[in-house]
Amino acid sequence: MATDKELSDFLKSIEKRAFKRALYAVRNDEAALDIVQDTMIRLAEKYSDRPAAELPLLFQRILSNATMDWFRRQKVRNAVLKNFSDFEGPGGDGEFDILEALDALDGSTRQDGADEVVSRSQIMVAIDAEVAQLPTRQREAFLLRYWEEFDVAETATAMGCSEGSVKTHCSRAVHALAKALKSKGITL
Amino acid sequence: MNKSYNLPSAANVGALESRFGLRVAAHLSEQSLQLGPDIGERLRVSREQALQRARTVRATQVAASGGGMTSAGAAILGDPGKGWWVTLGSALPLLALLAGLLLIQKWYADVQIAAAAEIDTALLADDLPPKAYGDAGFVEFLKAPRN
Repeated sequence: MATDKELSDFLKSIEKRAFKRALYAVRNDEAALDIVQDTMIRLAEKYSDRPAAELPLLFQRILSNATMDWFRRQKVRNAVLKNFSDFEGPGGDGEFDILEALDALDGSTRQDGADEVVSRSQIMVAIDAEVAQLPTRQREAFLLRYWEEFDVAETATAMGCSEGSVKTHCSRAVHALAKALKSKGITL
Repeated sequence: MNKSYNLPSAANVGALESRFGLRVAAHLSEQSLQLGPDIGERLRVSREQALQRARTVRATQVAASGGGMTSAGAAILGDPGKGWWVTLGSALPLLALLAGLLLIQKWYADVQIAAAAEIDTALLADDLPPKAYGDAGFVEFLKAPRN
């Protein structure tokens, strides 16, 4: 059973990322805060007797469900279904070379100061915007896998899909982000 | 002209994707630290509410798991948190009480029987007054079969 301190530390460590994830989905600060609050309370009420190691996965699952509940309450199901569409075509991704983007990334560590076209904060805003524009499932997979640092199996469990789907979503998200950022001249 | 040596293998692509993903995530983490103080405060309040709720739930669970039940209550209603022998041990005082009540009842009945027998013996052993033979009840008593 997670102690009060373990639960508190866990919530503290995850609350800002959870807020951002909810914000990507609902694009409204107040709604995102409500969703995070709802998620925290659901976790505390139903799963506070679970070991601390189980909390991250449970939290992500509850957060996803709480976000879906918010959409249901808002009666914008059609918009959600549109965003959740996984049938987007390759869109030229096959022609895009991620190695090229990463070469640019590697080069960026050597470029500092006057050569940088945009400031660091502007880069972060641009990255934020591009992540927000990803299709929902791709964004979820990408954030769980790389931001929450879940492995593929944990991400699949949190998203309720297969590991193969997680890999596909992550790969598409990475390629889409790399391409979008490169087109803006952002080299991270 | 074979250009295939320039193409990364599937494993390399996976590694490159991971590197890229982690770098983007690092920027997202950096940005998430710059959330406004009002949002940080709201998150803190939410966290406190959740912790308070967790404490309430735990207290309720402890109470429901037998913390407020007496040993006699546990013996009668059963207590899933304890073993069979503990439950049996808790029932022993109740069984001893029942046995004591039964013994007292038997002892009281024996005392009453002994007292009645003593009176009957005294009556029968005493000299019988002649008027007794005029009593219909006594006559019936004499006529009744003896065991």
